[in-house]
Amino acid sequence: MNLLLLLVSAILINNFVLHYFLGICPFLGVSKKINASFSMGIAVTFVLTLTAVVSWAINHWLLIPFHLEYLQIVSFILVIASLVQLVEMFVRKTSPPLYQALGIYLPLITVNCSIMGLALLASLKEYGFLETVVFGIGAGSGFTLAIVLLAAVREQLELADIPKPFRGAPIALIVAGIIALAFLGFSGMIKP
Amino acid sequence: MPDKSLAGEFIKGLWDENPIFRQLLGMCPTLAVTNALLNGLAMGLAVTFVLISSAVLVSLVRKLIPNQVRIASFILIIATFVTISDRFMAAFFPALSKSLGPYVPLIVVNCIILGRAEAFGSKNPIGRSLVDAMGMSLGFLFSLLLLSGVRELLGSGSLFGHRVLGAWFEPWVVMLLPPGAFLSLGILIAAALFVEAKLKKRRVL
Amino acid sequence: MSLPARMMTVLTAVSFLSASLLVGVNILTVDRIAANKQREIEAAITHVVPGTTASSKLYEEKGFAVYNGRDADGRLAGYAIQSSTGGFQDVILLLVGTDPEVSRIRRLVVLDQKETPGLGAKIVQEGAFLRFWEDRDCREPLTLRKPPVAEEELKPTEVNAVTGATISSEAVLAGVNGALTRFRQLRREGKLPAEDRNAR
Repeated sequence: MNLLLLLVSAILINNFVLHYFLGICPFLGVSKKINASFSMGIAVTFVLTLTAVVSWAINHWLLIPFHLEYLQIVSFILVIASLVQLVEMFVRKTSPPLYQALGIYLPLITVNCSIMGLALLASLKEYGFLETVVFGIGAGSGFTLAIVLLAAVREQLELADIPKPFRGAPIALIVAGIIALAFLGFSGMIKP
Repeated sequence: MPDKSLAGEFIKGLWDENPIFRQLLGMCPTLAVTNALLNGLAMGLAVTFVLISSAVLVSLVRKLIPNQVRIASFILIIATFVTISDRFMAAFFPALSKSLGPYVPLIVVNCIILGRAEAFGSKNPIGRSLVDAMGMSLGFLFSLLLLSGVRELLGSGSLFGHRVLGAWFEPWVVMLLPPGAFLSLGILIAAALFVEAKLKKRRVL
Repeated sequence: MSLPARMMTVLTAVSFLSASLLVGVNILTVDRIAANKQREIEAAITHVVPGTTASSKLYEEKGFAVYNGRDADGRLAGYAIQSSTGGFQDVILLLVGTDPEVSRIRRLVVLDQKETPGLGAKIVQEGAFLRFWEDRDCREPLTLRKPPVAEEELKPTEVNAVTGATISSEAVLAGVNGALTRFRQLRREGKLPAEDRNAR
């Protein structure tokens, strides 16, 4: 039951993009088309879940027992970079069409704040193993939801006459702000 | 590309190639910590430290590092400096460290830093890299302060924690919340582009 | 040197330098960081159990801890119970101070919260919320009074809720009641050290 609440919280109440501001670069950069956004979302969810597992393992089997918590930042980022590299090689070997579809997005995931952010937040909140995995899945799903929503609106905006200074990033941010406002309504869903 | 003077390298980071308003890099911490001027200032200073230190170090060792491992080396160097600033802040400014939360460690994935190391530090001598980093840091700090100023003033009626707007002002709490961050940044970027267009028109005429 | 060898050497050198730098920084800062944390919790305990000059941790589990506060004569001044509860937005961390018999609440303080500024965040304010918790009778579970009334009209087990922040107030109430229940359960099970029972 607790895990379900955690999942709902990660997707809706404390949405990774709209509440924690993690993953803004791809959020703004990739959200011009719904299809691309959805692919990006799936890729990110996959890497997030994988990272959740590995970061928990490193934290609990290496850093904490040996009192090396201060090496957290260095170890996490190196692991994430390697993980993304491995995922890219794996996807290229096993499914060339998928690799074609995801293209440049995969290497970009390394500097996606949400991956590092997930590892750090899960560590900060002292989640157990299962909680961390659920948190990862929830974070990725929340990211996918947010980016697809933004892409849906932006595709419509293509047909609108937007004042010059607002075209591109500014109007995307304003739309994101309105979506974030709507998501605020999800707060308090889980009664204490 | 024309050879810029050192002064030119410095100034470009403030406006023309401002990391946030023009290059749209480093958004995550910008939106997250700008709900108060003090937080924006602290984040800006932390990023300045990491950006300058890593740019200088990368430029120092750029001839020694083989191409294939350069990204890994850069990441290691940046992560080291980020850890140093995070620990330093936790030791000497615990309250600030608490409000900034996980966003100080997140500097390590701030696109600005890796971007500058890759695009500039690895290809230019120390002098130029240092000046470029200084310009970028100042531009980033400037944008953070601008956004924090707007958000704190409208969201709490205060600046740096001191109430400046009288009791007649009912704070716009939404400014302190995520939607306010998105909206403020969107409008500020649009304003920057507007000013830029007006300046260009005047230069041409 | 061949390319793979050079790559290995460079990476090892960078890692070694990075590690040395970080170990050095850690040695310089680890004590201060621990001292900061210690000072923070001690200040909170002294606040919720007035008269405390020294405290020690009696019990800890995930999201819950019990401290005792001893006064200048070494006598037990009361207990400080730390507990976490889910609030409107995220987790609320609170510290409730009781008298030695755990029959009255001395004071309450909210250590960490991420509630809505201007609304739920009012739970950290003395005037708006925390002062109603002082000297409450906690032998029975406490209840919330909404809409809030004048302080004199509150029953000994009642606390005023914050107007416009019902859920945050209820979260704190659940947190305090839960903390006291858990404390009493641990005491019955004998899990709390007996050393302070003699210090009276």
